[in-house]
Amino acid sequence: MNKLVNNIYKMLMLGACLSMVSAFGIILLGIAAREFVWDIPGLDAYAGYAIAGTLFLALPSTLRQGDHIRVSMVLQKLSPRAQSILEYWCLGAGTVLSSYFAWYAIRMAWISYTFHDVSPAADASPLWIPQILMVLGSLGFVVAFADAFISHVLGRPFFQVQDGEAARTE
Amino acid sequence: MDIWIAGALIVTLFVVLGSGLWIGLSLLGVAIIAMELFTQRPVGDAMSLTIWGTTSSWTLTALPLFLWMGEILFRSKLSDGLFKGLAPWLNHLPGRVLHVNVVGSAIFAVVSGSSAATCATIGKIALPELKKRGYPDNMAIGTLAGASTLGLLIPPSIIMIVYGVAANVSIAKLFVAGVIPGIVLACLFSGYIVIWSLLNKDKIPAPDAPTSFAQKLYASRHLIPVVSLIALVLGSIYSGIATATEAAALGVGGSLLLSLIERTLTWASFKSGLQAACRVYCMIGLILAGAAFLTLAMGFIGLPRHLAEYVGSLALSPFMLMVLLVGFFIVLGCFLDGISMVVLTMSVLLPTVEAAGFDLIWFGIFIVIVVEMAQITPPVGFNLFVLQGLTKRQLSYLGWVAFPFFMVMVLMVLLTYFVPDVVLWLPRNMR
Amino acid sequence: QANWDLPTGYASNTFQTENVQQFADDVAKATGGKLKITVHSGASLYKMPEIKRAVQTGQTQAGEFILSGLSNENPLFGIDSIPFLATSYDQAQKLYTAAKPATEKLLADQGMKLLFSVPWPGQSLYSVKPITTMDDFKGTKMRAYNPATTKIAQLAKAQPVTIQLAELGQALATGAAENFLTSSASGMDSKLYEQTKYFYIVNAWLPRNATVVNKKVFEALDKTTQDAVLAAAKAAEARGWAASRSKDAAYVKDLTKNGMTVAQPTEAVRAGLSKIGDTMIQDWLKSAGSEGKTIIDAYKKM
Ligand code: NA
Ligand code: NA
Repeated sequence: MNKLVNNIYKMLMLGACLSMVSAFGIILLGIAAREFVWDIPGLDAYAGYAIAGTLFLALPSTLRQGDHIRVSMVLQKLSPRAQSILEYWCLGAGTVLSSYFAWYAIRMAWISYTFHDVSPAADASPLWIPQILMVLGSLGFVVAFADAFISHVLGRPFFQVQDGEAARTE
Repeated sequence: MDIWIAGALIVTLFVVLGSGLWIGLSLLGVAIIAMELFTQRPVGDAMSLTIWGTTSSWTLTALPLFLWMGEILFRSKLSDGLFKGLAPWLNHLPGRVLHVNVVGSAIFAVVSGSSAATCATIGKIALPELKKRGYPDNMAIGTLAGASTLGLLIPPSIIMIVYGVAANVSIAKLFVAGVIPGIVLACLFSGYIVIWSLLNKDKIPAPDAPTSFAQKLYASRHLIPVVSLIALVLGSIYSGIATATEAAALGVGGSLLLSLIERTLTWASFKSGLQAACRVYCMIGLILAGAAFLTLAMGFIGLPRHLAEYVGSLALSPFMLMVLLVGFFIVLGCFLDGISMVVLTMSVLLPTVEAAGFDLIWFGIFIVIVVEMAQITPPVGFNLFVLQGLTKRQLSYLGWVAFPFFMVMVLMVLLTYFVPDVVLWLPRNMR
Repeated sequence: QANWDLPTGYASNTFQTENVQQFADDVAKATGGKLKITVHSGASLYKMPEIKRAVQTGQTQAGEFILSGLSNENPLFGIDSIPFLATSYDQAQKLYTAAKPATEKLLADQGMKLLFSVPWPGQSLYSVKPITTMDDFKGTKMRAYNPATTKIAQLAKAQPVTIQLAELGQALATGAAENFLTSSASGMDSKLYEQTKYFYIVNAWLPRNATVVNKKVFEALDKTTQDAVLAAAKAAEARGWAASRSKDAAYVKDLTKNGMTVAQPTEAVRAGLSKIGDTMIQDWLKSAGSEGKTIIDAYKKM
């Protein structure tokens, strides 16, 4: 089970990296296209989708690595017991909010599909296709939060945070 | 009524953020609550539509690519070269290489239209070096927090485009108007570093051995890669090969090429740089998404609009109006990002501002400086978020070390008020 | 007592938004404050491409958007943007009348009701260099932002370059774009006269904005309020067309005042462009099918 979810995070992260590289490639292609008189319609829309893919697909790994920032000042001043309780609240609220987000991401892609929503830009792509990236990423985010919550219950480590001091001096 | 809603929302936001909930999710949660309580709109659908629209827009592509560029440069010898090349020249200036934060930010601002990208790139390069050389953290981080907001004031600038469209003033003139205030503000930042260093001589590491002019010049060869990278990006913009958004991709390409040439580019460093860039962007992007939805909720509730209408109804003297607006934007800046502040309030505020006799170009620069201030005030300040990602320090600490630079910007606002020609001279004499 | 939100992507000082605001004020007055419409200008609520969907899904009650923005979805939405089909206000009015039932039906099928529709001034040619023959287009960089403008550039043997409006000024200054089609209004609003020298009044097409309301929301109103909204909408449409006409004349004068050379296109250019127009009408008819042909035929008979 653990191995499965870890592979999910890894696959999504791979997708995020590919999205970033695609955005880079697409924009370079756009510059080249302008210089060399080809016309490739809709490139800027594709770059936008790719960048959205980077954001959403990276959500679970970013959470796991502790890179999503939070205000931990209060948390650190509390007793370990109070800290643990507050962490339940944070992970619980995170699970609920990410589920809420994932649900409406799915709903949006579904509505786009049933309404035959197409991009108004030159790419004219059916919008549900790029929106799948947001659906996949936000579902992964839910899995990651649920995983973190269960790990906290079981007293297992979830976050793979590098030490703060190390990060500062690396 | 409005004031109570505003107060309740701010308190809720502070409590939720303080409880340790991730910042992007806190903004999202508060927006959901606000919309559920104060509007009759379908909340979830509005959320997904707005977030998708914001996160998949072409103009946003520059940010992740500049972040990636920063990660590549951080893994190359380029950043080291920047210090080796500049340190001999800054040796005698009080504060020494702390000024790299200011100079670096000002130079990078010429390339990038966003202050978060400026902060991330220069921070990734400069902070570890300053730490290694023994400069005090509070000054290293504070100068960066303040100086990186120059990304907005020195053209190109995303916020100026947004304002120019809203206020119907020439974006080209706004860009030109930002040049002198940008330079003056950079000088004020450097001035603060000089004064602080003279007062705290013991906290600044000892100078390197004195060098002759020829040696200094020879050391400057380390700057060649950095300078050629900047020349590539700038040249591509001003020769019309790339737009300001596309220039970020050329920056990435150039940095990859340079690190290939100096043989620091390996498969491992490429992979780790790319992954780090994805994660940093993901962190900022989640907050951007939350902020976009909070903006929508605010738009539906009409809070910024009503507050702006209230400001307009007071019939104040120009000076008092300016003072009140600074306060108004500082408060808004606590929980909205800069672009949202401008978009939500301009249509209501501009008639008041025009009636008070402010020049709209001048007011644009005023807005940009005030938005810069909002970038470094907690709890919602994007430069602080970037710095928290970089340094893993608390927001309160970051807000505190950035505070002197916040005050420098207040000084800058007063300066532009009493000497409006700082802003208006260049656009007036344009062509 | 009802409150509507009406987002628009255009800034509050454009004549379209001023007209929509006047409509909102009229409705408030006519209903004695029973229906209050808040106009959110300048994409302050939803951004331009999101507005139609926001109305369609009931996220906001009403909204304003440019109809041809939906032409990827159904070519009939883009009938006002077929180049060189209707090149004056009178022709545009006829085309609108011919297409109105189909447009209303399309919107109704998506759960929206058309309140009124007002054209922008005609899309005319801005250029850095003078253009007197069709050869002057050859190899130049022509801004394109949708399939139709790309096609025009290709047919004119220019090189279509995709540039967002916000970046257009800079692109012109650096030579990344050399000419483009847009209205006299946008040219003034975006201060495009700072970078371009020549303005040719070709009026290639007069794209229309539409102000729509969610059908269910509209039907939930009582009959008197409905009538008040429709009466205000009718007035707004008439006022909007008149404003568009007079603004166009004023904007063209302003462009001259700001140093642009304003001229009619030469005979050669006019002939070349209308040839492009014929090709594009054929293309459009192919994609729009028999329904499109019926409308065009009806328009041509008017
Ligand atoms: Na800048
Ligand atoms: Na702030």
